[in-house]
Amino acid sequence: MTVDANPDAASRAAPSAHEEDVAYPNDNKVVHTYDDIEEYDNHLPNWWLYTLYVAVVFAIGYWFHYEVLHSGQSLAQSFEQSMAADRRAAAARARRAGVMTDDTLNTLSRDGATVRDGQATFAQNCIACHLATGGGSIGPNLTDNRWINGGRATQIYRTVMEGVPARGMAAWGPQLGEAKVQAVVAYVLTLRNTNVPGGKAPQGEPLAE
Amino acid sequence: MARHLPVVQMRSSIREDGSHATVHPADASGRFTTARNVTFAVLLAVYAAVPWMEVGGHPAVLLDIARRRFYLFGAVFNAQDVWMAFFLLSGIGFALVALTTVAGRVWCGWGCPQTVYLEGVFRPLQRLIEGPRERRVRREAGDWTFDRIWRRALLWALYGVVSAAVAHVFLGYFTPIRGLWSMIQAGPGASPEAFAWATAMTAVMFFNFAWFREQTCVAICPYGRLQSVLTDPDSLVIGYDEKRGEPRGKAKQAGVGDCVDCNRCVVVCPTGIDIRNGLQLDCVGCARCIDACDEVMDKLHRPRGLVRYDSYVGLLHEPRRFLRPRLYLYALLGVMGLVASFAAYQRHTLYEANFLRLRGMPYTVEGEMVRNAYNIHLVNKHNARVVFALEPDTSGGQSFVLPLREVTLESLADADAPVFVTMPVSRVRPGAKVRVRIIPRGMPAEETRTIEAPFLGPQ
Repeated sequence: MTVDANPDAASRAAPSAHEEDVAYPNDNKVVHTYDDIEEYDNHLPNWWLYTLYVAVVFAIGYWFHYEVLHSGQSLAQSFEQSMAADRRAAAARARRAGVMTDDTLNTLSRDGATVRDGQATFAQNCIACHLATGGGSIGPNLTDNRWINGGRATQIYRTVMEGVPARGMAAWGPQLGEAKVQAVVAYVLTLRNTNVPGGKAPQGEPLAE
Repeated sequence: MARHLPVVQMRSSIREDGSHATVHPADASGRFTTARNVTFAVLLAVYAAVPWMEVGGHPAVLLDIARRRFYLFGAVFNAQDVWMAFFLLSGIGFALVALTTVAGRVWCGWGCPQTVYLEGVFRPLQRLIEGPRERRVRREAGDWTFDRIWRRALLWALYGVVSAAVAHVFLGYFTPIRGLWSMIQAGPGASPEAFAWATAMTAVMFFNFAWFREQTCVAICPYGRLQSVLTDPDSLVIGYDEKRGEPRGKAKQAGVGDCVDCNRCVVVCPTGIDIRNGLQLDCVGCARCIDACDEVMDKLHRPRGLVRYDSYVGLLHEPRRFLRPRLYLYALLGVMGLVASFAAYQRHTLYEANFLRLRGMPYTVEGEMVRNAYNIHLVNKHNARVVFALEPDTSGGQSFVLPLREVTLESLADADAPVFVTMPVSRVRPGAKVRVRIIPRGMPAEETRTIEAPFLGPQ
């Protein structure tokens, strides 16, 4: 940047002694003058040109990779990959929490001590919505054969663990911890299909066994 | 006033064929050089120390972009807080603009990491190994002798080591530096991605400081490109007193100016310009030409300051203005941004709590009672685990069902707590509210918050 960059015509016409040796080596390069601001057509810095050439070559390769050969991942594919990785991570978390299958949970539901623990947890946390009988009020009836979010042991486990925030079921996993969730699921499995009197009308899909 | 100096038509370190002419600045000494060296030493220590500092068990400054966690002096921010950065960055930006209006490129010459590392570390190393300017220029013009090869090899080896150190310090602002240290000890195989980043950054630093140098300031840095609109004739810049200096002549000659055309100001320049051509885009405000010229003036027993910190107007010996409309405007905008970011920081709460109605029906009528269902969405923005207690306000005659009365959240974790509220249909009034108090356990009382949502029912 040069403040007052332009010498006026007079000083150009009559350069001082010093000016002569610097002269104006690029006067022939003036391509554009506007408002006394002169634009020169200087050689671009070579490093700049090389980056441009590399970018051009890269763009061709990029185009072939993604648009012609389709050897690169599309956005949709990379999204799918990330989602799959997330699902794998969730499965790994579940595995770390203990091998959770319908069988293991059903086995727990036949263990008296676990069911008693589960009942205590249920009484503390669940009866506000599902009532002490499990007959349901704000929450659905747990003693019929119909389930809104699935009635298989692992489905109930997941509902308790992760909740259904959109329908008002809290995620209990972070608050209760793994053992208490397992116990409370074990207890709920004992309620299944007991049809307590005065229960809420059935909601959801029947459980196909 | 007509100018008698040549227009600069080519950038100083680019030759006419576009190749890069290496600038070999000569040694300079004087008050500004000394002051700058002290500043560099302090800033080098600060740059390297900041990533190691901790506040409250967390890094003082860590911009963890991958995990979107930003630690700033004890506070932790997540991606939702980025709006605050607008005020902070624009405030700092306008403060820098105001500083530029007053004092030109003092940031470039004194505080920018590019200058601090280049002039404080890399160039002194070159001076140490390859000698002063004259020898460097002569060697570079000659053949690849053994002397030239071993010096260059040693210099580049040292540059490689220093570049790696600078790169890791730089990365330390974006990834925990202690983790980086343990990764280094574990070897590249253990963390190939981090190793690739560190290697790439080292290469960038090496390229920049060994070869690219002033091109970064001249051709890449956006702040450098903005100079022509930031400075005005009243801004303090480094300039040559044309009135006093011209016409140039010999020391003992009569009827000439004070400039003896010794070329000292040109050879000390790190960007290779002649400051006597007037303020140029390439000038990074390093003040080396001031020291060089003062030294010569001292020898000639002429007053210092033929090249000095002054404004364009001041260099013409005309009265200077300090306060001017653009300065007010920039300062105002800068202060606004900083005040807004400070206010945002002050309001930055330890947690977020939103009272949201569940999707679906707005209310359910069961006999004489009407029920509304909500979720309280909690986000813990504290840098540690917090237990939140939820306490319903029953003074409105509503009965609450709160399955989760306590929510434990790790730092930056979130959870939904359902809330069901019931009241008799006959008592529902328009504008009725539901209130829940959120009490973060172990926090000062002012962190307790009451959130509310409308209660709906048949009217």
